[in-house]
Amino acid sequence: MDINGDVEEFSRRIQVRFVTKLKSPLKIPSSSIALPSNLTRMGLSALVNNLLQSGNADWKPEPFDFLINGELVRMSLEEFLLAKGISAEKILEIEYIKAVAPRKEEEPSLHDDWVSAVDGSNPGFIVTGSYDGLGRIWKAAGLCSHVLEGHGAVVTSVSIIKPKGMESSTVVSIATASKDRTLRLWKFDAEESFDHPKKIRSYKILTGHNASVQSVTAQPSGDMVCSGSWDCRIKLWRTNELDKGGDSVSIKKRKMDNEDEESQSQGEAVSTLVGHTQCVSSVVWPENESVYSASWDHSIRRWDVETGKDSLNMFCGKVINCLDVGGEGSSLVAAGGSDPIIRIWDPRKPGTLAPIFQFSSHTSWISACKWHDKSWFHLASASYDGKVMLWDLRTAWPLTVIDSHKDKVLCADWWRGDSVISGGVDSKLCISSEISV
Amino acid sequence: MKGRLKERESKLKTKEEKIVTEREVDVEEEDAHEIPSGSDYSDEDFDEDNGTLTESGSEQSEFSEDEEIDNTSDGDGSTDGDYSLQDHSGTVDDISQQDQNDDHSHQEPKESDEDHRGVEESDSSEDEVAPLNTVGDVPLEWYRDEEHIGYDISGKKIKKKERQDKLDSFLASADDSKNWRKIYDEYNDEEVELTKHETKLISRLLKGKAPHANFDPHAPYVDWFAWEDSKHPLSNAPEPKRRFIPSKWESKKINIDPESLKPKLPSRKDLKPYPTTCYLEYRGHKGAVLSISTEASGEWIASGSSDGTIRVWEVETGRCLRVWELGEAVQHVAWNPSSDLPILAVSAGQDVFLLNTGFGNEEEQKRIKELLHVEARTGPDDSNNTASIVSWAQDDKHEGVRIKHFKTVSSVEWHRKGDYFSTVMPSGESRAILIHQLSKKISQRIPFKLHGLPVSSAFHPTRSVFFVSTKKNVRVYDLVKQKSVKKLETGLREVSSIAIHPGGDNVIVGSREGKLCWFDMDLSSQPYRILKCHPKDITNVAFHRSYPLFASCSDDCTAYVFHGMVYSDLNQNPLIVPLEILRGHTSSNGRGVMDCKFHPRQPWLFTAGADSVIRLFCH
Repeated sequence: MDINGDVEEFSRRIQVRFVTKLKSPLKIPSSSIALPSNLTRMGLSALVNNLLQSGNADWKPEPFDFLINGELVRMSLEEFLLAKGISAEKILEIEYIKAVAPRKEEEPSLHDDWVSAVDGSNPGFIVTGSYDGLGRIWKAAGLCSHVLEGHGAVVTSVSIIKPKGMESSTVVSIATASKDRTLRLWKFDAEESFDHPKKIRSYKILTGHNASVQSVTAQPSGDMVCSGSWDCRIKLWRTNELDKGGDSVSIKKRKMDNEDEESQSQGEAVSTLVGHTQCVSSVVWPENESVYSASWDHSIRRWDVETGKDSLNMFCGKVINCLDVGGEGSSLVAAGGSDPIIRIWDPRKPGTLAPIFQFSSHTSWISACKWHDKSWFHLASASYDGKVMLWDLRTAWPLTVIDSHKDKVLCADWWRGDSVISGGVDSKLCISSEISV
Repeated sequence: MKGRLKERESKLKTKEEKIVTEREVDVEEEDAHEIPSGSDYSDEDFDEDNGTLTESGSEQSEFSEDEEIDNTSDGDGSTDGDYSLQDHSGTVDDISQQDQNDDHSHQEPKESDEDHRGVEESDSSEDEVAPLNTVGDVPLEWYRDEEHIGYDISGKKIKKKERQDKLDSFLASADDSKNWRKIYDEYNDEEVELTKHETKLISRLLKGKAPHANFDPHAPYVDWFAWEDSKHPLSNAPEPKRRFIPSKWESKKINIDPESLKPKLPSRKDLKPYPTTCYLEYRGHKGAVLSISTEASGEWIASGSSDGTIRVWEVETGRCLRVWELGEAVQHVAWNPSSDLPILAVSAGQDVFLLNTGFGNEEEQKRIKELLHVEARTGPDDSNNTASIVSWAQDDKHEGVRIKHFKTVSSVEWHRKGDYFSTVMPSGESRAILIHQLSKKISQRIPFKLHGLPVSSAFHPTRSVFFVSTKKNVRVYDLVKQKSVKKLETGLREVSSIAIHPGGDNVIVGSREGKLCWFDMDLSSQPYRILKCHPKDITNVAFHRSYPLFASCSDDCTAYVFHGMVYSDLNQNPLIVPLEILRGHTSSNGRGVMDCKFHPRQPWLFTAGADSVIRLFCH
């Protein structure tokens, strides 16, 4: 009986043709093959690897992911076809892509305290902020080159300022926000390297917030930074030092304390965006004209930088802690907060303010969500449940669960396009690299 | 008419002759009756006879005819005559058939014609054909040995006929093709031959059909009823009174759906948001957390524990930011409600500490430091009679002020403006409740007489009204008029906690027996609702500042969240709906959840457990 059953099952076959957009060594002949319908992603991956090996003897097996009609296959082929109502009569086209998963876990970079913020937007280095009030620059895993010293309290957010037309310059500016109600701007030479981390001081202190500054982000052009705070305000600040002469209210006392001859100028906000009624927990500045902000008053707003008015106001019913704008056309809004669900909105859709995607595999608050800067589909998220997850909009299941942290993960970001960096309560900065997106 | 009559008579005569030849006696009689009455017979009667005549005997028909004469309808003369004639021919026909008369053939059509008529006009008069024999319903065996079988109507004996011997009768029956139609009538001692018509009837009856072939069982229904309303009622009596008064019996019936007696509570789904799930825990205390307090903006939360420490936590991450070691179990912590004065008031043992949390910008810090600076005692202060109650002193170790009391202080409550605060010393007797002023650093006892042991106190959220709860009751004082305004009678054994609705007109009181009383002060001094949900002591109760929520926490390790809507419309009573039971704490030394506080701006609930953990339940 068993044999009969097997034969029967085996006889259910699907005509399949594999296609790919990958480059030539990963291509396989596009003739159609009959496959047993109970194959899962693993079986398909083994099959493609076998086919590749037959063409290229020294091929190393590699995991693949499979797309049918633009959706990732996450069950057996048969179930997938049934669930999606796809006919098995025709030749099925399956696109294969490299599986998005970290293949390497770098040595964690140890901090003295919780890692609260991380920015990986510059491929040359990583910036982290920590609960000990220091910012740190990491050239690579475990290699700290600079320490940003000056904040009187927790560094809550860090942001690399990328001035336009200055890409070639090795001098990089960084903005940090802190619970001491200030923002600080720093400058350092990215090319320098030392045996010991070099301590640097901020060149500008931005004061004006009345409560802890929760988030900072830089304008894509690099001229301004934007900050959100517990005083419910969003403030925009200039980064350039043109007004150095006029506004250099350098703090003499500090100068006296430190032998450092670098002057610290104080800056004031260019404009204040008022509208949120509770803590502004996250701000992002994807385009020069508009700033997105998320708040504990359950709303996400888009602000017009010129007029200071909010042009979009979405209510989501939950406290929002993290926000990112990216994906398709760089206009999808992803946010997470006081529940385990990552929600993605498309503000271009008129009329409806319902999220277009919801990912709910986490089990606690979401502390970070970041779009991949190249891919339209990929998203990284971090949660208080100690997990970092990678998501693809084409499937509701997480692509990968990175479980390298022991406790809450407080921040996460992409780095160099192929790594996910995350910091958490275990005072570690973890880098999961070689992700082929 | 006359022509017809004559015709009939002549026919009759011919038949009679035949009969005479056969059955002399009978025919004689028949003649006597029939001939004179013939013209008067109604068609009906004859029909009857014809149709139902079974046992034959012209005598029978005769009798029936006699009786029927009275009922005869005054039908058309011509038809009358017609039918009677046919009838007679019918009856005669029967007899003639017995004789195997050849007339038979020509009479058949007539018969069918009669049939037709009979169907149309017959009604029940079969019984009226009286039997020849009049013995009645006696067993016929009584006459077995007699010579006669009974008596006719005139009392003469009816003689038995001679018995044919069996062989003869058999031969006769074998010869006779109509034998199958013959039956023996024991009663009248004669053989009867059924007519074709009768056999037809019988066969139809056997098939279960209507006896007459012409009877249509599915004839179209004729609606005889006059449906249109009559102009005048059948009865002109006035409507009786009982039709206008409610029925006594109906009212006695209990006709209530038990479901309808349940209070109509809105669905929990419609009352969102409210805290449901615990996502964050604040760990660090070594002993039971006895009290928690949230900062005005909701960024920080302070907790006091029996391990003698006060901790300040970052709500968002659960990070412990600051720790003060007081060395004595911290009974109560209270964050100053004013957002620009981040000061903590703490009661530990006999001391009350005012601590500078270090939050706020430089200017605020400067002001706080000024406020928390106590000059050395000078003369006038000492002379003040309150000085003997408490003493204000600088506490350098904790960067704050220490107010020494003379008894253990159980709770500290701030006034909404953040300048006054009250302390409760349960065993302080007449000076049990003190009101302190931060800006002037003075203390005074409340100018009211206390009735019973004080448990806790609270300031009215908007007016200058002060609540003091003793073990049994809650008293409400007006601080301006300096008099008692109200006494809320809880009816509880021992009050443990009290919370004031942000509107100020509703109070909830938790008790050690697990009961929670809601007082609507506009309504009455009795509880508006008593909720019995906790099996163990209620340790604390709390109202949310902006959401219509309140909560109670208990030693049974749970916290209950309720929807408590207070309407501005005075006619509408508060709506109370139980929403959620929050679990997660574990019991420690028989104590469960020691304190609960709502987040000031989110629908979140903090609970402090005896298991040294603080939990945050989010919506």
